[in-house]
Amino acid sequence: MAGLLLSSTEKVFIVHGVQEDFRSDGRSNIDYRPMELETDVVSHASGSARLRLANTDILVGIKTEIDTPKPDKPDMGKIEFFVDCSANATPEFEGRGGENLASSISNTMQRAYHSSQAFDLKQLCIVEGKQCWKLYVDILILECGGNLFDAVSLATKAALFNTRIPLVKALLMDGGNVDLQLSDDPYDFKFLDVGSAPLLVTLCKIGEKCVVDPSAEEESCSVISLIVGITGNSKSYCADKGASNLSDVDIKCSTISMNGPGSLAPKTLKNAIHQGIIAAKVLDDSLGQALLRERRENINSMKSSYGFLK
Amino acid sequence: MPLDFRRFNGPEDSVSYKIYTKDYLKTYDEQLKDLYDENGKRKDGRELNEARSMFARTDMVSQAKGSAYVELRKTKVVCSVFDPREIPHQNEFRQLGQLYCEVKFAPFSCPRKRRPYVPDVEEKALSVALRQALEPAVCRHFFPNYQIDVLIYILEHDGSCLAAAINAAGLALANAAVPMFDIITSCSVAVIGNKMFIDPTEIEEHIAKNSTEVNHGIITMSVLSQLKQISDFTQIGSMDVECVTKVMEVLLKECEIIVPNIQRILVVDVVKNFELKKHLEAETKKREEILKKKMDEWRSLLNGQ
Repeated sequence: MAGLLLSSTEKVFIVHGVQEDFRSDGRSNIDYRPMELETDVVSHASGSARLRLANTDILVGIKTEIDTPKPDKPDMGKIEFFVDCSANATPEFEGRGGENLASSISNTMQRAYHSSQAFDLKQLCIVEGKQCWKLYVDILILECGGNLFDAVSLATKAALFNTRIPLVKALLMDGGNVDLQLSDDPYDFKFLDVGSAPLLVTLCKIGEKCVVDPSAEEESCSVISLIVGITGNSKSYCADKGASNLSDVDIKCSTISMNGPGSLAPKTLKNAIHQGIIAAKVLDDSLGQALLRERRENINSMKSSYGFLK
Repeated sequence: MPLDFRRFNGPEDSVSYKIYTKDYLKTYDEQLKDLYDENGKRKDGRELNEARSMFARTDMVSQAKGSAYVELRKTKVVCSVFDPREIPHQNEFRQLGQLYCEVKFAPFSCPRKRRPYVPDVEEKALSVALRQALEPAVCRHFFPNYQIDVLIYILEHDGSCLAAAINAAGLALANAAVPMFDIITSCSVAVIGNKMFIDPTEIEEHIAKNSTEVNHGIITMSVLSQLKQISDFTQIGSMDVECVTKVMEVLLKECEIIVPNIQRILVVDVVKNFELKKHLEAETKKREEILKKKMDEWRSLLNGQ
């Protein structure tokens, strides 16, 4: 997000285009730019994903550790988000410059995943009250080209889909202490149920309308954006063809926040939320299809891995 | 949690004694039943759609340029605003002034645990939310390249802290004569199932956040009343769109209701300052008279000699 200088005429051009639902690169107001996603790129992590969205490059690694559950939530595991805005991404992040943005992204992600309907922490429980899994979600911003919240949430959901939790083979209860024995077999694991994990959609208000996935030029024409976290549809993430018996869960907002020095009229806020839901539905579907296809290819050993070469 | 090395910290594995009380072992349904009785009245006697009455005063902190104190029954918040100062650690020139907001909980303010002195994640998130809410209200083009410090100290936390903080900050900024576009007011709502609790207390907030109902969560909204603009909207939990829209309508009305109260306080503040100014001028005149008389006396004495 290096400083972009736009003349007032260029800004007017962008505003008029958005008004007509026709942006400078030919997209409509709710179209995303093409993305590339690859999971399982980091071998030492339990799950990982790398997402490229235009100039934005996000790498997410998930580590699993065993921890004691909180005393007031004995049957729930834990998940914690850490965001690292390194100076590689953009010179503005040098030193502690990226700290504010990093804490803002991790707070939004923490809020989005807080509700049990967004991400059920009960699936991370091992022994109620004594042992649970703790997921450390580490998000690295390799390159910053705008629209960070969306890219981070997509990469996180993909990485969680890819996460392998080792299976517990034996449990020794010695008085109050628990001794776990996990399976040695690297193919002995379970996947997490992340179908309903939320996706963040940033809606940038330009003129009277809101656009999804703003480019850097469009971002400089806007003073306020709305970030909506929308829970996913588990159906899209179920490999079985008999998944039609799963009822279509209602789309829920798991977090809403505003970002920027401006303000919104109530009507714009309502329209923006509806717009975000439409965009999130399409995004969630496509992500589900892509992830299922990758998992199928992986099982059939058909997957060619590119890692960081592309 | 980063340890504060300058102070003595308790042993790391100490927990609140409350987890050993009978209240703690209540199931979710029992806790929910506790919140409201058959007549639909909440634990503190309010209706579900009744906000707490707000007590607010300006000029609380003598050392600050402007300050305010807001009390929502048990929630107590103090805000101080200081003069514009140069932005520390800055290289580039900024056309608009900056707001530096900091929210801090007093260590004894929260019912569930002791707050450490080092600002933790929740406080930093509240500071960001407060800044988000205040930025559209302040005329930042009047102090380019300067920053105004808005410091909030929460003395007691019984729910709706962010709403109280935004109200206090708005009052304090006006008291500090910082030019603003409009009066800013804020309110919050907790949703549990199909029930909406306006201006929730801490227990209601806690249950709303951790509920497993279909619709649950907390929404805080701040509004610029005359301009009819929403300056900040934060939601946590899981709600469908109809619920969010309904809550937004309710909050818009609630924020309107607070405005006359704020206006009255500001007018009282201005009138008080005028009276004070007149009083000081009268005093000054009196003293000048006395001094003049003395001077004349001495002059005549000198000339006489």
